[in-house]
Amino acid sequence: MTTSSRGLLAALIVAAPVLVGITHAMLAAFGLTGLAGIEPGWGRAHAVLTDVTTWRSLAWSLWAAAASTVLAFAGAVLIASLFRSSSRTDALARALATLPLAVPHVAAAFVGLLILGQSGVLARISYAFGWIATPADFPALVYDPAGTAFIMTLAAKELPFLALIAFSLLASETDRLEETARSLGAGPLEVFRHVTFPLLWRGLLPATVAVFVFVFGTYEAAAMLGPSRPTPLPVLAMERYAGASLAQRADAFVLSLLALVLALAAVAAHELLRRRRWEVAG
Amino acid sequence: MTLGSARTPLRSLLLTGLGILAVAPLLLLLITSISRSWFWPALLPVPSADSWAALIAGTSGGRLSGAALNSLALALATGLLASALSLPLGRALAGLRGWRRSLGAGAAFLPVAAPPIALGIGLQFTFLTLGLGGSFMGVLLAHLVPALGYATLYFLGVFAVYDDRLEDEARTLGASPTQVFRRVTLPRLGRPLLEAALLGFLVSWAQVPLTILVGQGLVPTLAVEVLGLVQSGQDALAATGSLLLIIPAIFMLMAAALAIRRVEAVPV
Amino acid sequence: MSSAGAGPRLPRAALARKSRGGAWLGVLLVLLTACGDARRAGPSAADLAAGPWEDVVLAAEGTRVVWRMWRGDPSINAFVDEWVAPRVRDRYGIELIAVEGSGQELVNQLAVERQAEARGASDLLWINGETFHNLRRMDLLDGPWSGSLPNSAAVDSTSPIIARDFEQDPAGFESPWGRVQFALIYDARRTPDPPRSFADLGLWILENPGRFTHDQSFTGITFLKMLMYSLGGGVEAFQGGFDEESYAVASERVWRWVEMRRDAFWRSGLAYPQEVAELHRLFANGEVDFSMSNNENEVITKVRQGTLPSTARPLLLRDGTIANTHFVGIAFNAPNPAGAMLVADFLLSPEAQLQKLRPEVWADGTVLDVDRLDPEWRERFADVADDPRALSRDSLRRYAVPEVAPEYHERLASDWRSRIRDRP
Repeated sequence: MTTSSRGLLAALIVAAPVLVGITHAMLAAFGLTGLAGIEPGWGRAHAVLTDVTTWRSLAWSLWAAAASTVLAFAGAVLIASLFRSSSRTDALARALATLPLAVPHVAAAFVGLLILGQSGVLARISYAFGWIATPADFPALVYDPAGTAFIMTLAAKELPFLALIAFSLLASETDRLEETARSLGAGPLEVFRHVTFPLLWRGLLPATVAVFVFVFGTYEAAAMLGPSRPTPLPVLAMERYAGASLAQRADAFVLSLLALVLALAAVAAHELLRRRRWEVAG
Repeated sequence: MTLGSARTPLRSLLLTGLGILAVAPLLLLLITSISRSWFWPALLPVPSADSWAALIAGTSGGRLSGAALNSLALALATGLLASALSLPLGRALAGLRGWRRSLGAGAAFLPVAAPPIALGIGLQFTFLTLGLGGSFMGVLLAHLVPALGYATLYFLGVFAVYDDRLEDEARTLGASPTQVFRRVTLPRLGRPLLEAALLGFLVSWAQVPLTILVGQGLVPTLAVEVLGLVQSGQDALAATGSLLLIIPAIFMLMAAALAIRRVEAVPV
Repeated sequence: MSSAGAGPRLPRAALARKSRGGAWLGVLLVLLTACGDARRAGPSAADLAAGPWEDVVLAAEGTRVVWRMWRGDPSINAFVDEWVAPRVRDRYGIELIAVEGSGQELVNQLAVERQAEARGASDLLWINGETFHNLRRMDLLDGPWSGSLPNSAAVDSTSPIIARDFEQDPAGFESPWGRVQFALIYDARRTPDPPRSFADLGLWILENPGRFTHDQSFTGITFLKMLMYSLGGGVEAFQGGFDEESYAVASERVWRWVEMRRDAFWRSGLAYPQEVAELHRLFANGEVDFSMSNNENEVITKVRQGTLPSTARPLLLRDGTIANTHFVGIAFNAPNPAGAMLVADFLLSPEAQLQKLRPEVWADGTVLDVDRLDPEWRERFADVADDPRALSRDSLRRYAVPEVAPEYHERLASDWRSRIRDRP
């Protein structure tokens, strides 16, 4: 077997389950698999795709993913830039920043609920200081349509992942280039703007896409912290699949396909960004 | 080095913030886990060690200990399998060039990018037809789908920068391909294998939608149990479960980090 | 050359620990090694019901029964896991495993299993109302069998609440298990003078914006259903089967009522707790002033457990609150129908019915005709202390209204989602 065909076979093996899933979802969405309650044809799919609820859910999930990713990226860049030496303090900071990696999303969401709820820890501390009188006085962060608590929690959860990559980027590639820039007389901020940040940015982009698509598709955190309207897309899909009438299961397949199409787009973007990076580094 | 004199107060602030962010959740979970009632606006709860007692006695918390063992078995199996399988897969993908390489990398990324809920919905029927529904095997295979993706991407990265010269040297010294693999390649891959196994472990350990859709409630896992506990208002047990979720994962990370350091300390 | 091997051995010692978790692992290994067979190997519940009861007991000995139930209430979970399970294990050698699975989710699950011709995974199902309707309609239930249970002789089948499930005849496809009546929950300290009718409640909501909401699940829809009865001139207008026109008119009234008050709902009616347990949490923490429950005495149990504040009280509305019965059914592809029948029979035993009636356990009403029991049981039932906070049996009876056809519930649920929650 040639190297090339071996590689393509490997690619097929890894991607196969997703392809099977996509195929089944496509067939089932159009009622071609004979699943009870789903009429064959374009009917249900059309209903879902022309329903405002679908697009609102999609838009919300895209927004929440974008906001979380931006915050996580900014935080990762900040921490990596400030704590890059090998001193003990810096090593401690890096270790602390990486700790949330160990926290599964369901636990992180629960903590978010406990801390950010209107009757949560922060609210009670505010009450103790006399800043608020009732839970309603505390800002509505959990279940709010803007997804504030969700975004904050997911940003905190995804930051370590990006930070880890940022640490290794700063530890290797950039030193030389930064020294060159400094020897040419550039000040610290200029070095950061023209050397450090661009390298970080390019190095982190593929991972950032990964974070984006992950937050977009996460279920448990959205179920625990997200609003009822609009319902986050993964939660809506589960609702239509398990909690609604049998005919509406077709909706769940359509919604899943939407999510998977977005995942494909993310994969393509990820690949393009990786190639550009090689070309730059090369 | 980068931001000049404004660094120090910002650094201290951030360091404190990071410290709080790391410690506060654990403390909060601990307090919640020993609370009987914790109503607004109390800053401390009415205490009760019930949830921990139940965990140890195996009563209503017995769901947690059973689920924890299940999760452990699933995660270990996923990690080991994903690591072992992704090594040859990643290596094969690294051998591709040009557009094929992009296709390969994209293929590996696909199970990572696909939302588990969408994956679960798309695959549930297939799993059921194959008799894998509601079984440990079925959930393991389901967890392997994203885990294999993560691990293969990882090994793709490893092999993309892998320097073959040591292997070439060994061969010029007369070693057979098997000997080369066993005594040169494999030891060098010790750390990557560990890291890939850790990736697979964490993917399975934290997984929720796939377990729900394929396990159908018959394969209890810690993450799914905690979700159920939060949704049924059992905060103390949910907190206990969350701690059970977090602490082993922290140990895993630390153990892997230490092991990696040990592996790297040996001169190659 | 490096001599480092594959790194440290990852800890497997945990797996060797003998504990209840070990039992779970054993269960899983059984699941793992059991080969998948689309069809059940042995006789169905209907077959067993036709034969002598001793055969059922024999067939069920030493088997495992998987019971799909709503796991959203820790008191009920405790009753099943810690009281029922040990007893059926000791007496019949049955290992009872209760897992989450209820409502439409259950229907969809069984429908997919039938389609995929998958090995059955559930034996006993906790169902009623629209769930029973859908399962029957799609032929997903085994039966008839419930008449063959020895303990079914003591069931109060003259009571209209028990004899009909949302106006449907169980016809032996489900066995009654308990009965409850809907009640609101309020805090006597915060709301010393609560509203006592829907009209009053409507006013109260407008006067106290942001302090009321309902959940998205069964309890919340039941609340809307009661509202529908009230706005429609009483339950009589809806009895006798589902009528599309009546529903259309009545539901419009409900939506208008809700929309008029939507901004005064909690979070301006934009967010609703998914489950009733989350509503309890909001209520206990003072974010809202009312919670609700399908079980009139859930307050008592929850206060004892510390989930609700001690000042919480149940509240009936003068318009009437819904009383209904809940049942257990057997899945069409149940691997162990004999075991399921045996457990269903045990649940009907005076012992089990008495235990769950206790306010500290579950406070779930009995479906037995206590007068037909032996004197010692009659006494024990009478002795079950009425908590001073409990609603008197008289007022419960006075304000009880029955369920109507299941389609009302289904339509309300789906229309609420599209009209109110997801409003365009």
